[in-house]
Formats: sequence, C-alpha cells, structure tokens
Amino acid sequence: MDNIEQRLETIFATVFPDLPANKIKSASHESVDTWDSVAAITLMNLIEEEFEIEMDFDDVAELTSFSRIHNYLKGRVSPAAV
Amino acid sequence: MKLAEALSIVQKTSAELPEFGVLLACGITPLHLQNYLAAHLQALRPDRKVRISSGLFGDLVGTLDQASRQDLQAVALVVEWSDLDPRLGYRQLGGWGQIELADTVEAVEAMLNRLENAVASVPKSLILAVSLPTLALPPGFHTSGWHASAMEIALERAVADFAARIGRHSSTRVVNRQKLDLNSIPATRYDFRSDLNTGFPYTTSHADVLGSAMANLIAGPVPKKGLITDLDDTFWAGLVGEVGHENISWDLSSHTQLHGLYQQTLGMLADHGVLVAIASKNSAEVVNRALSRPDLAISKKKIFPVEAHWDAKSGSVSRILKTWNIAADSVVFVDDSPMELEEVRAAHPGMECVLFPKNDYSAGLALLHSLRDLFGKPGLSEEDNLRLESIRAGQELSKANGDPTSVEHFLARLEARVILEYNSSTDDKRVLELVNKTNQFNLNGGRYTAAEWGQISKWPGAFVLAISYADKFGPLGKIGVLAGREEGRALYVRTWVMSCRAFSRRIEHACISALFQRFGSENMFFEFKATSKNGPISDFLAQFSVGSRDGQVAIEKTAFETKCPKLYHQIVERNG
Repeated sequence: MDNIEQRLETIFATVFPDLPANKIKSASHESVDTWDSVAAITLMNLIEEEFEIEMDFDDVAELTSFSRIHNYLKGRVSPAAV
Repeated sequence: MKLAEALSIVQKTSAELPEFGVLLACGITPLHLQNYLAAHLQALRPDRKVRISSGLFGDLVGTLDQASRQDLQAVALVVEWSDLDPRLGYRQLGGWGQIELADTVEAVEAMLNRLENAVASVPKSLILAVSLPTLALPPGFHTSGWHASAMEIALERAVADFAARIGRHSSTRVVNRQKLDLNSIPATRYDFRSDLNTGFPYTTSHADVLGSAMANLIAGPVPKKGLITDLDDTFWAGLVGEVGHENISWDLSSHTQLHGLYQQTLGMLADHGVLVAIASKNSAEVVNRALSRPDLAISKKKIFPVEAHWDAKSGSVSRILKTWNIAADSVVFVDDSPMELEEVRAAHPGMECVLFPKNDYSAGLALLHSLRDLFGKPGLSEEDNLRLESIRAGQELSKANGDPTSVEHFLARLEARVILEYNSSTDDKRVLELVNKTNQFNLNGGRYTAAEWGQISKWPGAFVLAISYADKFGPLGKIGVLAGREEGRALYVRTWVMSCRAFSRRIEHACISALFQRFGSENMFFEFKATSKNGPISDFLAQFSVGSRDGQVAIEKTAFETKCPKLYHQIVERNG
C-alpha cells in the first residue's frame, strides 16, 4: 500500500466513521449511504488539508469513489510530497 | 485545529454521555463551522456529548424560533452581511452601487429588528452566543476601497447598535470583534471559491477561530478566583531590598510602564472580585514601606494577604490558599523567576504559573491580555464586591478557632443572620454559579446548564433554597443553594452547595435545623457522592448520619438535634 493510499484511507475513515475498514477501498458514492454533498465537500477539504493541494470543483464532481480519488491524487501529488 | 482533528474529536466522544444540545442559527451552509463549533465545545465539555442542530439555509429568524421547541443548552447565532441583505453577499445578483443599494441600510435595520424580536423569543435559560458580520462588505460602493462610504458607515453603525441592544440581556454574549481580529486575520477569512460553490464562505482557519470563540462564549473555562504575585521585577521594576522603596519604578519615564499596567490590571481584577495576594522573598518591613507608596496603581487594601519573608514561595502560596480557602487550580501565580515558578508548580499541581516577562514588550502585552482571559466572567455580582472583606472577617474567625471557648464566644457575638429564600427564581445567575463552581462543600459535584436547572423547580414537591448570610463584619451575600423535594415525612436533597467563604460559621447546621422546622419532617436523605474535593461536606454529613438508604445519606431530626452544636443565628425566611 502506498503512502497516498494509506493517508486517503485515514481520511475516508474520518468522513465515514461507520464504514468498515475493509470496505474503504471499494467505497463509492453509490455504495456508501452517507456520501452526500456535505460528505463530498468534507472529503475534498480534508484531502486539500492533508495533501496541501487545491482541488477544482469540476474535478470533485467526478471523484465519486475511493479508487478514482486515489488515481487523481497519484497524478496531483508530487513524489516528494508523498 | 485541523479539520481532520476537529472531526476526530467529535467522532471519538462516547454517545453514552448526556447530551449538550446547541442550536446553530446561521444563514450560511453550516458545514465546517458546525464541525469546529462541535469540536471546540466537546473539548470544553468532555463530560457531555455535544449535539449541534441547525436550521434551514438562509432562514435565521425561523431557526431562532425553534429554540424554545428543542432540548438545548445554548444557541449560537452567526450573522453575516448577506443574511441582513442578500445584495451584500456574492451569491445573489441583486445589484450594487449607489442606486441599487439605496435602500440597503433600511433593509438591514429592518432585518436586525426582526432578529432582535427572534432573539427575545429565545428562552432566557439558554446561553445565546452571537457573532456579527466577520466578513468584509463586497466592493459595491461608489468610493474607493480605502474610502469608507457613508452607506458602509451606516451599515456598521446599525450592526453596532444591534449588538448593544441584544448585549444588555444577561444570557446573551456577543463575540468580541477585536479579539476575533487578533486571532483570525480579516484578509484570510473569506473563501470565495467555497462560497460560490457550496454556500460556505469561511476558510477552514476562520471557521476554526470562530467556532472556538462561540464555544468559549457558551462553555468557556471556569474563571480563576485568585492571583498571587511576586514583587521584585514583577509588581514593580527593581529589587526593593537593594535599591530601596523610593527607587523601584513602574512608570513611562523609567521605561518600566509594564509593571504599572500590571498593577492597574490587578486593581481592576480586585474590583471584579478576584483575590490578589503577594508572595515575596523580602523583608516584611521593606515591602510594607514600598506598598505604602501613594503612587501605586492599585490600592494596598485590595491586596490580602501579603507574605513577605525569606521562606520558600511554595510555603507562602500554601498559607495564602488556606486563608482564601480555595483550591490551587483556581489560582494564578505570577513571578519573573522560572525557578520560583517551578518550585510553586511542583508543590501546587494544577496552579497556573505564569512567567512575568523581562525586556519583551510583546510578551508583556500578551500577559495583560491573558490575565483578562483567565479571570474574565460574563457578569459581576454583589458577591464579587464582598469577597475580600469576608475573607478578612474569616481570618478573625480562624484566630479564634484554636480555642473552643473562644470559638463559642466569637460565634455568639457575630450577630449572624441566615437568610433562607425558598423557591428562589431559577433564573438567578448567582444560584447557578454557586451550584456549578463550588467544589468543597458540594453534595455530589453535579453540574447543571441553565436549562437543566430550570427543570429542578418543576419536580413534584420541589423546593429550591438560596442561602444568604450576614454578620457584624458585613454581608457575605448569597453563599449557598439547597434543592430537593418533599415526599411524605421526608426531604430528599439532590443539590447542596455552600461557598468556602462561609465555612466555620455553622451555617450548614442552621440550614438543616431550619428545614426540619419548616417542613416538619422526621428524616432528610442526601444524594451524596464523593468527589476528589468534597471532603468538607462528607465530614459534615458523617457527623450526623444515621446510615444510608438506597445510596442516600440519612439524617434523623432527633439525632441531629442531639448532636448539633449551639446555633446563634437569626433565621430569616422568605419566599421567592
């Protein structure tokens, strides 16, 4: 597990405290009931805080699963920051 | 505090704890303001599970109207310019400029009047914390940004007038804008991107500071009660034993003004009921001469006691605490010597030990501000003016206490009056203050919010007794509270607290005696629970207890009357 993935898991656990740890990597907007607009913004803000990046709201609309966010971060976060 | 940390604090709190309900009334999307308010409140009230509810987006008045229909301890009202007139925000295109905004002052005043009416409908038992616009007005005015237009000045004035009007209510607390400016730089507060995309206009850093400010207004730490200060290079500049009392200084021309400002701060605190004492390693005679200088910025009579000798500071502090009869964690000790601070800290864990800075103007100013924060209280009471005098009188009593004959002689000549006010108003702030701040003579350590306390008088057979005391040395004011219920031939006491200032006067005996007589009861049962500090009430009950029933300590009238020492008080009973 890479460092980005690990940090992202921690963020998911914070935003979705009722989500079992073994379900985090497969989590998506469809599979998690509490993934509403407030959760999406909170996810975005926590990711920005943790990875010190600024996300575009147009991107956020597309980031609807753990794996999509993970891939997005791999493209955004420089290896040095990882 | 980082957002992740805030969320974590809220999530980690046990759902089993009793709730602390707060209604967040704001026109913006509450989002992280709600998270930060919850986290800061949770940190201040670890004994409760904080629950924040919010109303409809954009409906401040409607949300405030819900306050009376929910089980709450407090209401947090957060107002921004866009709540007062949507044209003063960025999410609606209602027009800017002199023509389009011609009626905006009128519209804002009308909205503030509606808010004032809504604020008046919030139950007085709830704390109402209010934040008025923290974000800048939009660039919709005809002047340049540096030039405040007449309209902007009028808008600011309307809000300031509103703050002054609602701030008069004792349960309303308005965020201090100047303090907010120091902790959240105005230029870093607004998040344009978030406002336009989500309706949440604050940066997370501003949400953090504002949440903290609101939490402090709702459930801030208990104010400290006493301050013990060093003298040399603290209370004044210079070593008085070396340079003489005429050469110590605290003035501008000597570049020692910070010491004068410190004295002035202590004088203010003393006027507000804070106890001020001195612990100094000096000769008592030299100190007395210095404290007699007429240009001191605090009156010498406001300082009591003065411990000036060459013994360890921790010993001086112990004696001062004994005289004041308060715990170390209610006291702040100020000294310029890190070594002295460490010695006192080691002997008195829990005491706030503060370094008086040397040649550091920023730290000096920070010290003055921090003293305000440590001792600040929402309101002043009559008891604040009486505290020091009652301690001086208590010293007389202590002197007599060594000799039983002398004690009886002293008490018999005290001309003591105990005033028992039955069913006193549950809105009485002093009563709730006593219940929530008293530690030593406290039946079970139970703490109540104003809303919870309001329910006490509604129990069947309930009585709430406010106890005041006066003697020839002067009044002590309201010093005790006793609450319970009458059932059959017995009284069940759930709350009983008495200020430590009132100890050793047999007031507690007088209360029990008066209750037995008034209600004609044969037994009293006390919901006693030992805490780390309530030894005095435990000892008192142990003297008269005839056992316990269902975990409650029982006192029988006949047994009490047999063991009770002679009482000299005049009892005055009133109905609230």
